[in-house]
Amino acid sequence: MLNGGRTGPAPLNAGAPTAPAFRRRLPLVEWAVFGTFAVLPFLLADFLTVFASRLMILALLAISFDLVYGFAGIMSFGQALFFGAAGYSVALLARDLGVSSVLVVLPAALGVGLALSWLVSSFLLLGRHPPSVTFVALGTLTAAFAAEELARSWYYLGGQNGIPGVPPLTLGHFEFSDLAFYYLVFALFAAVYLLCRALVRSQFGLALAGIRDQEQRLGFFGYRVDTFKTIVFTIAGAIAGLAGGLYAYHEGFVWPSMMGVVLSTQIVLYCLFGGVGTLIGAVLGVIAIESATYALSEQLPTIWPVVLGVILLVVILFRPTGLIGLVVSERERTGDFGRPGSVAPRGAPSDAA
Amino acid sequence: MATALNALFEILSFTSIMVLIVLGLGIIASMMGIFNFAHGEFVLLGAYFTWFGHAHGAPVWLAMVLAPFAVGVIGFALERLVIRRFYDRPVMAMLGTYALAVVMRETVRGLIGGLYLNVPAPLVGSVSLGGLEFAQWRLAIIAITLLVILCSWTLLAMTSFGLRVRASLENPALARASGISTKAIYAITFTFGAALAGLAGALVVPIFSLFADLGLRFLIQGFLGVMLGGVGSFVGPILGAGVVGSASAALPWVISPVVADVLVFVAAIGVMKLLPNGILAGRRV
Repeated sequence: MLNGGRTGPAPLNAGAPTAPAFRRRLPLVEWAVFGTFAVLPFLLADFLTVFASRLMILALLAISFDLVYGFAGIMSFGQALFFGAAGYSVALLARDLGVSSVLVVLPAALGVGLALSWLVSSFLLLGRHPPSVTFVALGTLTAAFAAEELARSWYYLGGQNGIPGVPPLTLGHFEFSDLAFYYLVFALFAAVYLLCRALVRSQFGLALAGIRDQEQRLGFFGYRVDTFKTIVFTIAGAIAGLAGGLYAYHEGFVWPSMMGVVLSTQIVLYCLFGGVGTLIGAVLGVIAIESATYALSEQLPTIWPVVLGVILLVVILFRPTGLIGLVVSERERTGDFGRPGSVAPRGAPSDAA
Repeated sequence: MATALNALFEILSFTSIMVLIVLGLGIIASMMGIFNFAHGEFVLLGAYFTWFGHAHGAPVWLAMVLAPFAVGVIGFALERLVIRRFYDRPVMAMLGTYALAVVMRETVRGLIGGLYLNVPAPLVGSVSLGGLEFAQWRLAIIAITLLVILCSWTLLAMTSFGLRVRASLENPALARASGISTKAIYAITFTFGAALAGLAGALVVPIFSLFADLGLRFLIQGFLGVMLGGVGSFVGPILGAGVVGSASAALPWVISPVVADVLVFVAAIGVMKLLPNGILAGRRV
């Protein structure tokens, strides 16, 4: 894995001057994925369109995890907390205030994710003692577990059953049907993806990569490592919140496990399977595992979860770069930062981008 | 007064279970530097084997005696095949052991279905002591835990094997240079920790009954105990487990169980934030 299994030097100068010019494959994968999603409703039956919008929503959640772990090295076992909390918030908005306008719902979901993740990260990441990886991992895990327990027993939140009957999303008098909802999700998914792509390929992303690979060194350079981490955690929390808000409207109800440990860890495993540290890898992981689950869980209801666990174990042990590692080279996986030429890292070839 | 004493007794027996779980979790974290996410599933397996033995006609006490050995064997196999690849890679270890946990949990779920299965306690009834009634089985749990702690402490502090274990924990490089096979020590320690978790599972199954998600709660409380007590010592995690276990068993007598749970979690994380090296930091025991 990026910071666990690497034995060689930090990847910032992975493109040594001697590296031959190579053909980029990552954009091809990206175009293929987004192109497929763009035309999917015309190719598939209606119920599969609904499934595809679920894929994109979970992909958003996976991107949010990938940002914190794959790009900044923060192990978060609690991404579902922001997802679920935002889902509950928009469900409450619909139930108690009768608000289901997309202009209110989406900012609310985003805001809840943002605020909550800011609270969590400023508690876990900031402070006098730099937190250890295990502390952050256990802190987020515990937060998700506690939130799920609370939601399970809080009558106002519907207890075990959650909140049913979330109405369709609206805009004025327009109601988002399956197809319109699909394209709404698609647009948001594409927008978030592009924003994140710009973010991790900017100079901010370079600093994050530095923190991921050599946190102490970056600290000695004078970077405020904690602040960077808090910022990226908060951005990721906002994305998870957005996904949660969409998911509540997609499923039509919210329930306690939406913010629990199981979903949080599932997202982690999706990302690992697809390949952390590349945004499209996280998306591919969601698509691959969710589709396989969709296809196989009917025939093999008891065996499939076990098989899935074994597959993930094998990936973690033998293929730490995930699916995407099969398609793109290590050099491309690491990527370039900022505008070409002007601030290229030492040793990067001039034709890098 | 009588209720208070009875409450104290219940708290003690629950704390004992936590201590059994954390003993293994803590020593694995201290020695190999990994947090074993599959530990809760060892508890589950211990409970499952006990139920399995009982369902196939064995007396409950015999099933309980055998379950830890069965879990130990599984733990040993996993250590040799998988876990040893994760030493000193804490993040990969979390993910890998989590995947292992998924495999074990879903296997058990497939075997028992989504059911809650009951196993009777081998000791039924209660002892009256100074006018108070104590459930025999809970007394037995406390006694067994004390015995296990005493035995492991003796093993670690009094024997030459214990000396080698402590050497591998304190300074693995020096231990290897002195001719100690840390590999073997790690394997034995992991097996022992797994067996202890299996024992805890076997002991709790009459109280909690058997279901597939039994392990998760124990896992998180165990982690909090280890972190609270501080990684790197024998006594620290036991103390942490004592604090977390007794707090989460005691608070429900005063406030609603869920609020109590959340409160314990938040408090534990808060204390860890202030004392990152645990409550025993600086006073190495």
